Amino acid sequence: MVTTATPTKVKGSGKSASAQQKIQELRDLYADAPELSRKALENVLQELTDQVAQTPPPPVESAGRAGSRLGKVSELTLIVPLAPGGAKRLRTFLRLLGGNLNGADKVGTVHDMRFVFLDNDTKLLFATAYDGDWDAYIDDFATRIPDYLDVLNAGWEGWPGIRSPQAKDYLAKHQVTAEGWYVANDLTVTETRQLKRVGKAVNEFLDKISE
Amino acid sequence: MTATTQTPTATRSKADVGVEQKVQQLRDLYADAPELGKVALENGLPALKQELTAATAAQNAGRIGARQGRVSELTGIFPFAKGGAKRLRGLLQLLEGNFQGADKVGTVHDMRFVFLDNDTKLLFATAYDGEWDAYIDDFATKIPNAMDLLFCNAAGWPGIRSPKVKDWIVEHQISAEAWYVANPNLTVTETRRLERVGKAVEELLDKIG
Repeated sequence: MVTTATPTKVKGSGKSASAQQKIQELRDLYADAPELSRKALENVLQELTDQVAQTPPPPVESAGRAGSRLGKVSELTLIVPLAPGGAKRLRTFLRLLGGNLNGADKVGTVHDMRFVFLDNDTKLLFATAYDGDWDAYIDDFATRIPDYLDVLNAGWEGWPGIRSPQAKDYLAKHQVTAEGWYVANDLTVTETRQLKRVGKAVNEFLDKISE
Repeated sequence: MTATTQTPTATRSKADVGVEQKVQQLRDLYADAPELGKVALENGLPALKQELTAATAAQNAGRIGARQGRVSELTGIFPFAKGGAKRLRGLLQLLEGNFQGADKVGTVHDMRFVFLDNDTKLLFATAYDGEWDAYIDDFATKIPNAMDLLFCNAAGWPGIRSPKVKDWIVEHQISAEAWYVANPNLTVTETRRLERVGKAVEELLDKIG
């Protein structure tokens, strides 16, 4: 729950030099960019100097087998080919649910997730933010809502089924790791829910003592 | 590609359709699904019935995109300009994932940059608070330079200060067909406030304990 600023990372000397170096790299990188963005770079350079010189939040790390993680929260971005008829089935299913994917509540580690149809319904983009590591996350789905998952994934070309030993390989094969990943609050879903309860209790408490 | 969102009214009237009827629709729908999917449907029916009963109208985020509670999604796929992928990758690496700009905007829950199809396209996906128009305006007023720095790498980016920028974004945005948020009623700001409350409560308990 503590938002740590990782003070160990701060090293006084050598830091500003490397910041200068990074700024130079940025200038080089944007040398052939459109006029618009070269100007934007100069405008934002002071801000960036501060930013690259400052202690980065926690660094973005790997979420395990695939994907990025920032602090406690990871990203999973999948693009899977859809089998013939798969898009229609999935879309109708999602519409019948009216966008209600509360099965994910049962998994308990999902912050958000979206289903997006791409390229004339030939591909599906699935993108989610979740807590912790890749393997544990997939295991959570497999143990808690396996059937739900197989209904959703029935239209995926070549999906072996969540109970198959090949399920993880299939997912890893179609996953594309994000190269930029930002999360505003370094809290797990569970911690956030707990804070909601604390907030409510505090409100009730304050109401009571002001009565 | 625009406005694939279903209107709330249409969905609401469908709610009258009995759950049993929906289940039948599902069975029909999955009649030609792989065996695996059919079995899963039968196994999952008890849980699915609950969700079908609870199905609420999908909301939209305004001009485009889905919303659940107070949290909206924006998903866009943008072709890279020449040299754009290299520049953006270099920028992201130099920043080491440090997006203080997004902190400044204050309505961004999460966002990702994903390079697709051999660095020819950028997928940008974010979860944010509130309405589409206000969100874009926030970026334009709070971090215009950072926006130009990031998105000039997409082909045809008109510049965040251009009157055409919103149309350009809409053109590349694709509404999610389904959108789930674990805590749909918490904005970024509200969550930060709760973090402070939680910390204060801990300190209080420490003191009296």
